[in-house]
Amino acid sequence: MRYGFAIDTRRCIGCHTCAVACRIENNLPKGSWWNRTLTDGGTEQDTPEGTYPNVKMSYITIACQHCENPACVKVCPVGATYKDEETGVVRQDYDKCIGCRMCMAACPYTGVRLFNWEEPKYTIDFAIGDSDIAPHQKHVVEKCTMCWHRLARGEEPACVEVCPERARFWGDLDDPESDVARLVRERDYKQLLPERDTKPSVYYLV
Amino acid sequence: MSENSKATSTPQAPAAKFGGTGLTVAIVAAAVVAIAGLVLWGIQLSGGMIQTNMRNMDSWGIYITMFMFFVGLSAGGLIISSIPRAFGMKGFGGISKVAVWTSITCTCLAIGYVVVDLGGPARIWELFVYSNLASPLMWDIIVLFVYLILSIVYLWATLRHEAGKVSATALRVVSFIALVCAVLVHSVTAWIFSLQQAHDMWHTALMAPWFVSSALVCGTGLVMIVVIALRAAGYLKLDQSYLVKMAKMLGAFLCIDLYFFGCDLLTEAFPQGEGANIVSMLVSGPLAPFFWLEVIGCAIAAVICFVPQLRSNPGLIVAAVLAIVGIFCKRFQLLVGGFQQANLDYAGMYTSTSITNWSDGMVGAYAGLVYTPTMLEMGIVVGVLGLGALILLLGLKFLPLKPTAED
Repeated sequence: MRYGFAIDTRRCIGCHTCAVACRIENNLPKGSWWNRTLTDGGTEQDTPEGTYPNVKMSYITIACQHCENPACVKVCPVGATYKDEETGVVRQDYDKCIGCRMCMAACPYTGVRLFNWEEPKYTIDFAIGDSDIAPHQKHVVEKCTMCWHRLARGEEPACVEVCPERARFWGDLDDPESDVARLVRERDYKQLLPERDTKPSVYYLV
Repeated sequence: MSENSKATSTPQAPAAKFGGTGLTVAIVAAAVVAIAGLVLWGIQLSGGMIQTNMRNMDSWGIYITMFMFFVGLSAGGLIISSIPRAFGMKGFGGISKVAVWTSITCTCLAIGYVVVDLGGPARIWELFVYSNLASPLMWDIIVLFVYLILSIVYLWATLRHEAGKVSATALRVVSFIALVCAVLVHSVTAWIFSLQQAHDMWHTALMAPWFVSSALVCGTGLVMIVVIALRAAGYLKLDQSYLVKMAKMLGAFLCIDLYFFGCDLLTEAFPQGEGANIVSMLVSGPLAPFFWLEVIGCAIAAVICFVPQLRSNPGLIVAAVLAIVGIFCKRFQLLVGGFQQANLDYAGMYTSTSITNWSDGMVGAYAGLVYTPTMLEMGIVVGVLGLGALILLLGLKFLPLKPTAED
């Protein structure tokens, strides 16, 4: 079993709903975005590449790639970052993390791993999101959990559920019957930084 | 011990008196700086590491630079004193104990810089309980501790040997093991960076031997400065010929280090692919001041070491300082250079915790140096240096590190 995502960049409209849903679901501290909607185009958000009329722009949503060969897991000195053998999800144990940030240096997808540089502060002064999430801690590394608390209840990740364009698919890449496996089989796709040999479990359909 | 103190009071002992009030004042001053550093570290931990300039996309900074730098500096003393002994050659006129003490001090500082970099120093015990032996960081922690213990054992064995309690053969065996461990500690520190496929700047097989050569450069430079200073202060006497021998070694190490740098730059640049960006970042980009200071400084230092007319005492000090500053620049280039190039440079949401200079987006963040330390970080760096001065001076005051008559 290898859980992963297929994200249809031709459907994605860059609305940030997945990113905001992630923030709410996981009660993310101020300034933290586990999932980000980035612009594949110009140097500013929502700007195209090139000059009119030869312009192009698309969106790419980036979170932990839950790699099959994760660089972060190998380097963590205490095993706080580990791969769940059954599901292939790369997990993070806040209680174990010593805050050395070796995983952040090892991950090629810089920006998907976040360190809580201070006591977590929140935009709203009461906890929001799911009650099953692990509380955020100061001076530890955190990242996308693939909504582990939802998977445990048999639900799909929050970002997938909310996508208004139905551009996000989640499932078992090893199961040929699953949506993700079918899409990866039938559509053209790209992966982020395949030359780094991390074998990401996120496929961007193009 | 008694023989040792007797030896130092013979007529061959230094004419000027070392120690006294001056040394005590220096020890107190070093202690004050170290305590100030502790207070600043407390501020960093309580107020959060947001007070540093490290951020999610440049997650290491001056502390890890200093860690690399001090692991390197620790090489010199141990190698200078153990190579002659391990291979049965003529040594450096009895400075080996002082030299090993500088090694021990530098190793303590290297460990200190990792500790101040940790987000959760209270969880440090987990390193020994949940050790992930696959992690290069874990290898480094193990090798550093072994190295520290071996250095102390080596110093102790030297002292016992002088007292006639440890045989020359046993000392030779210890010095050989210490030498192997010294090479290992630099290689493993290099592997923390070079085994990561994430950053082009780091991912090179040359890194481990190159770390060894850089360690030899700055380590030898440090020992030269320490012994020249101690000689001037009247702590020990040393014939100039030993310094000349050390300077020639320093010159050779400098050439090897520059040669490795040249090999690496050529290999990066030649295919004109991604690697060419690294070379231009170093040669003409944000890291250029550090690059040129290193290259030119090391070249000048090598010239001073090789030209007999330039090997005066001030000349040797200049060479040693240039060598040390050069290697510091190399460490800084290496650390910041790893983060200076974004793997994913899409425009989008950047917050104050994403990257140091975040307010002008990706373009602004990478326009200049991606990371520069804050005053708090510099304060903690100085505080740890104070701890180093304290350890070094306490050793000079209380340990029998002076050369004996037979040296």
